[in-house]
Amino acid sequence: MTRLYVLDIPENTSVAKIAALDPEVTVDRIGPYFEIRSEGEIVVDRRATTCRHAVWYSCVAGVDRGSRITQHDRDALRVTPA
Amino acid sequence: MAHTVRGVDHVAFPTFEPAATVRFYRDVLGFPVVHSVCAAGWGPEDHPDFIHFFFDIGNGDRIAFFYYFGTDRSVAGPAGAKGDDYARFGADVPEFFVNSRHLAIHVDGEEDLLEYRRRLDASEWPVFMQVRHETIESIYTHDPNGYMFEITRAMRPVTPQEDLDANLTIEALLDVVGGPDPSFGNLLARKAELIVSRAAAWEGAHAR
Repeated sequence: MTRLYVLDIPENTSVAKIAALDPEVTVDRIGPYFEIRSEGEIVVDRRATTCRHAVWYSCVAGVDRGSRITQHDRDALRVTPA
Repeated sequence: MAHTVRGVDHVAFPTFEPAATVRFYRDVLGFPVVHSVCAAGWGPEDHPDFIHFFFDIGNGDRIAFFYYFGTDRSVAGPAGAKGDDYARFGADVPEFFVNSRHLAIHVDGEEDLLEYRRRLDASEWPVFMQVRHETIESIYTHDPNGYMFEITRAMRPVTPQEDLDANLTIEALLDVVGGPDPSFGNLLARKAELIVSRAAAWEGAHAR
């Protein structure tokens, strides 16, 4: 299971929204965080989120030990099973 | 534990350019002079006579300077390729480090921010950068002493969940910097554990 957490603040909602477009991805909540999980890879397209850089590069609040960020650049955020 | 402090009383810097410093803070920005100390050197024999002068930065908070008579920049050692009149760095020191220490002064809104921008742009110290970070907008210049100077406004109030997140970050940070793997990846992993164990209960306490 791949799992990451994103704080629910106005600047971050598009990250959860774009991640949820993938039918393999489930977006849930735990307290004020979005829990974004999938059996496989989670990929979020940065341009689709329209996040500015400062938001984009600070949007990840936590990543489960069983998962790993393998890409976090101007194009995408990619979290894969570790 | 009671939290009874009330902001910045003063922050103090040395200056070798007192005239330009007064022009910048009092005449360009309009920060009133609110206090000064004219002191004959005392204490250690080599302490020069000095003027310690203060400008109001709002809220009753103050920025202060020391001007030491008979000194120049050489009192602080050799000139640096980077940095300011207090902190000198070699050419090989990265910019992120040189720029990390700075003073940011708060304004309430965009109109105020743009008014200070107009004042600075009409001066010898124009704004070199105006940027919207995630939730704040800032203008930057360097004062006559080379100190990086920022004025900033909040684009929205800080939410309660950001305070929770900040506290989980700090807890995770302390856990990982004391351990064998002080990395960003490990911090996010530790934070994930804290989110799982704490965040659900927090929402109960902050029902919307």
